[in-house]
Amino acid sequence: MQANEAALAPTIAQEHRAHRDARDDRMFGWLLKGCALLVLVSLVGAAGATLWGGREAFSTFGWGFLTSSEWNPTDDVYGALVPVFGTIITSFIALLIAVPVSFGIALYLSEVAPPWLRTPVASAIELLAGIPSIIYGMWGLFVFVPFFSDHIKPFLIRYLGREAGDVPGTEHVSWIAQHLPFMGKLFNSENLFGGSVLTAGIVLAVMIIPFISSVMREVFQTVPTRLKESAYALGSSTWEVSWDIVLPYTRTAVIGGIFLGLGRALGETMAVTFIIGNKMKLSPSLLDPGASIASTIANQFGEASGLQKSSLMALAFLLFVVTFIVLLIARLMLRRLAHKEGR
Amino acid sequence: MTESAAAGIHPQPTAASTPLAPTKLQVRDLHFYYNGFHALKGINMDIPEKKVTAIIGPSGCGKSTLLRIFNRIYAIYPKLEAKGEIILDDENILDTRYSMNKLRSKVGMVFQKPVPFPMTIFENVAYGIRHHERLSRADMDIRVEQALRSAALWDEVKDKLKQNALGLSGGQQQRLCIARGIALKPEVLLLDEPTSALDPIATGRIEQLVEELKSEYTIVIVTHNMQQAARCSDLTAFMYLGELIEFDRTEQIFTKPGKKQTEDYITGRFG
Amino acid sequence: MNSQTLYLRRRITNAIALGLSMFATLIGLAFLAWILWETLRQGISAINLNLFTKITAYGEDGGLLNAMVGSLVINFIGIAIATPIGVLAGTWLAEYANRTRLGESIRFLNDILLSAPSIVLGMFVYTIVVLPTKTLTDGSTTYSGLAGGIALALIALPVIVRTTDEMLRLVPSTLREAALSLGVPQWKLTMQVLMRSARSGIITGILLALARISGETAPLLFTAFGNLYTTVNPMDKMASLPQVIYEYANQAGDGIHALAWAGAFIITMFVLMLSLLARLILSRNKVSHD
Repeated sequence: MQANEAALAPTIAQEHRAHRDARDDRMFGWLLKGCALLVLVSLVGAAGATLWGGREAFSTFGWGFLTSSEWNPTDDVYGALVPVFGTIITSFIALLIAVPVSFGIALYLSEVAPPWLRTPVASAIELLAGIPSIIYGMWGLFVFVPFFSDHIKPFLIRYLGREAGDVPGTEHVSWIAQHLPFMGKLFNSENLFGGSVLTAGIVLAVMIIPFISSVMREVFQTVPTRLKESAYALGSSTWEVSWDIVLPYTRTAVIGGIFLGLGRALGETMAVTFIIGNKMKLSPSLLDPGASIASTIANQFGEASGLQKSSLMALAFLLFVVTFIVLLIARLMLRRLAHKEGR
Repeated sequence: MTESAAAGIHPQPTAASTPLAPTKLQVRDLHFYYNGFHALKGINMDIPEKKVTAIIGPSGCGKSTLLRIFNRIYAIYPKLEAKGEIILDDENILDTRYSMNKLRSKVGMVFQKPVPFPMTIFENVAYGIRHHERLSRADMDIRVEQALRSAALWDEVKDKLKQNALGLSGGQQQRLCIARGIALKPEVLLLDEPTSALDPIATGRIEQLVEELKSEYTIVIVTHNMQQAARCSDLTAFMYLGELIEFDRTEQIFTKPGKKQTEDYITGRFG
Repeated sequence: MNSQTLYLRRRITNAIALGLSMFATLIGLAFLAWILWETLRQGISAINLNLFTKITAYGEDGGLLNAMVGSLVINFIGIAIATPIGVLAGTWLAEYANRTRLGESIRFLNDILLSAPSIVLGMFVYTIVVLPTKTLTDGSTTYSGLAGGIALALIALPVIVRTTDEMLRLVPSTLREAALSLGVPQWKLTMQVLMRSARSGIITGILLALARISGETAPLLFTAFGNLYTTVNPMDKMASLPQVIYEYANQAGDGIHALAWAGAFIITMFVLMLSLLARLILSRNKVSHD
């Protein structure tokens, strides 16, 4: 009985503490949740702010905003076609180069290279992803573009496109341009110097290679060893195992990795701004300067006002929506693999 | 299925044939489910005060699950459900109104792998106390020393109380975890395979410690090591596939088991 | 005979494919070497004392002092805002909302924010920070170092959220059980035990976030804008290294370009150093945990 009474006081104290702990835990939970919701707020806010800022352009030009290639601050007329086209074409070139190279790197690092070489080489490739995009821009503008103009561009024009002669009528049309439609247009340029859509695409490719190759390498390593071993046991070569077993097994995630790279390429700003040439004119030639959505914004937003500013906001909204969708697809595909692994 | 029918199919002993001491923990028709899987099927047992009760059985028999219900640590995970009663000092701890604080200060637990907190040795022991009691610095020093002494660790660490606990050896870390548990002055101490990650010498010390601690605490130890159960427990419970097959004095279980399954397990015919 | 040629053809295909994979790797490494080499060569030759003592107001004869100070201030603001929010949000994902629907969705959206175009985030901050202050100040100067810092915080946030989330999920659940079995409430367990044991991982995340924002340019162009003079007042327009590099690269003149290269060199070294440090902390931590 005595023990019971003595035990009563601490019990009350315990009840108090339990209440306080429960309250503190609840408040702590709310604080944490609030912070996490800020992630959502940033995404929705970015979309909302650009949509709101671009409302004037959307209402003035309607659907014509998307189809018009005229971007003329003097007449205050703006159409998104040139930067949209530039964004798509540079990203497409980037993927065209980056996907096979990344696959090669991933294949080399997961199947071919001697084990001691794998980690250092992989870290070096990942270092590429760590270099800020403005450095790519500097290097592109002062090193790569001049190199390209001196050594690669004349070669491309001569053998793939059409070369203007000194006198009218003496132009040289390459064998490929004679036999394949469009080639002459794609590789035809009077601008011998300066950046172009093609150089921007190449530099973008270098920038997204580390992202795609590291995703590929990671997912290649998830292929069960017994699967590969049973293929080897049938006498398959390393290449056959990679192409027939590893790649099909990881297909979804590999596509996810490619989309991740595409998302990066679409939104990349500084490097492209440095080297794309920044010309608001539609040209079929890859060797001509152009503009991307991001480069147009970076170039003009600071000095723009009124309808021009609104049009830039509208461009940003388009860019955001498109990259969001691309990244959404990428993450969904990557997640499918994570589920397969049972994580 | 009614209770009596269940009991009819699985006749289960509720306590040792001869009581050794007053009952501390009374388990009544305890069922446990996770994600719909019926993991414990109607457990009944009386755990006596200030004795060592060992729970043995093959992996997956539910022995750890049972232990983890005694302090409701299972409740931190979703989709786990316990039904039935566990009476500790006349109160049902499975009642949602039962204070978690009270339960956790009355029932201490030591885990399979030593899990020292990333703090100094002193802080590891003081951390739990601080949450339940407000002590002066001098009193705290005394409490920590007492706990470390009871855990037979004091002589090894008294000169390095301010060092990080992660620097201790595995056996020392486990004794630190025991010290951390008994520093709260619990009444029941749950040990979940406390030596499975330790070498034989460290294991010996922990077993010796268990022997010393039983004068003050009611100890329940889960082990997959039958020799350990034979060496340091007063009572042994044998579980199989979520059921309590036999519960009796340890020497009884190991010399004249009442059930065929128990005998098979003890003689190594399965498990 | 026929099977012989088939075998030979397969072997040749294999050799060519593997050779190409090695070639692809060499291409990647060659670009890395090329970029680093040019930055190093052009940067080092442009390094001199003026860089650290003079400001950009002197143009070709000046230095980068105001830009470096500005970068430090803006980066500091960015990290100071992103760290508490990011760590708490990551903790929520790992400890409170793991495997819940809302938690999974936010984790997923955070991954998207991680690769969202930074220039759009810059425009978001322009809209919510720069524009409103314009109406407060009768349309006068509204760009500020603070706005730049907020824009960088949005870029650093997902990096910190993700690493915190991942690092906390690596903490063994037995540590949680051990603390909870002492009757410690969850918030104390989280702040005092789990954070401590994931500390070096979380610090790594913060370093990586800092590396990420140190080179960011686009969002600063219309938030912090730029300034020819040195300032540490976050309400002022503020210069930053990337913004000065961008402007100098677009101007003519060898001296101006040399300054841009020097800035590029400084940023590259800083970023590489940070990622090296992050890697070092992480690998050392891994060893001590096992």
